[in-house]
Amino acid sequence: MAAATEELQFLGSIPGPESAGEVDGAVAEEGRPRGGDDEEILRFMDSVDGYLLLMNSLSSALRQGWLDLASARHSMGPSRVLSTLFDHKEQSAATKLQVVDHDGLKPSEPKPHFALSKWSLQEECYSTYDVSERAFTEPKMRHRGSVTTPENGNHESANTTASSTGADASNHVQRARSKALSVFGGLVSPKLRTAQLSFETALDLIVELANSRSNMLASFSQLKE
Amino acid sequence: MAGRANIPTNSSALIAIIADEDTVTGFLLAGVGNVDLRKKTNYLIVDNKTTVKQIEDAFKEFTTREDIAIVLISQYVANMIRFLVDGYNKPVPAILEIPSKDHPYDPAHDSVLSRVKYLFSAESVASDRR
Repeated sequence: MAAATEELQFLGSIPGPESAGEVDGAVAEEGRPRGGDDEEILRFMDSVDGYLLLMNSLSSALRQGWLDLASARHSMGPSRVLSTLFDHKEQSAATKLQVVDHDGLKPSEPKPHFALSKWSLQEECYSTYDVSERAFTEPKMRHRGSVTTPENGNHESANTTASSTGADASNHVQRARSKALSVFGGLVSPKLRTAQLSFETALDLIVELANSRSNMLASFSQLKE
Repeated sequence: MAGRANIPTNSSALIAIIADEDTVTGFLLAGVGNVDLRKKTNYLIVDNKTTVKQIEDAFKEFTTREDIAIVLISQYVANMIRFLVDGYNKPVPAILEIPSKDHPYDPAHDSVLSRVKYLFSAESVASDRR
């Protein structure tokens, strides 16, 4: 409810009765309902609402991250938690994005879809908000792992493979996290680890925000036409 | 197709960051930092010594690089180059304005929301109906 109020306040005045009368008049004059427009408007409003909610969540995640970082700096010393400690030798980012172009409602509308690949894992990370996008997953997106259904129906070996793949991935992630933390020395404050997790959460939200932005702009283009 | 922006499918794109030190440090901890062969990074730390020209150059560089899919920029930094940010209209890289420690997020200044806000202006609705 509060988010809806904030959204209405942000968007400013909704067309008043006089313009609503014009709208009704336009519907009556045309003699047919504007169902398609209404659906698009609802879709657009949903995407704006989602965008604002996600931004609120991102603010919370970032605040937690900054707080943890400040706590780590306090316990480890200011000279041990600095951006200047980061290595400027050639290095590839461990966390990257996958970008796929989903066709918008019309072929002329570009609608990119972003997916996060954390710590060099070939993993899709779909947003909980963007569940409908799953229907548009293209086969060319890479899928994580090598789990396949055995032809003879031996589910036990499949489960074992899945669990070992999961354990390997988990170990890989832990090693990657430790490597990122090692920039600040061998022994780091637990607060630095929680800061790392907070910013990872923020990254997930950022990818959802990017997808929400993409949906919003696509709906907006549709409405403008 | 004529008039369609080309969005190349990219399976390993980067996130660029233009923000204060703590925000950049946090995201680098999360593994987004990248340094290429020419020692070019995908982030710019903005402090009180950073000039507007440096911010503009970083923004232009990040938005023209093909290996960057999202550009995160603190909203207070975006306000310094508002004309550049508002004038940007490509789908990729996506520009996301994020809050900073001292400057909370203000939806009224967000370039994406500003772009779509006019849809709800009474004037625009009235003019469309004529």
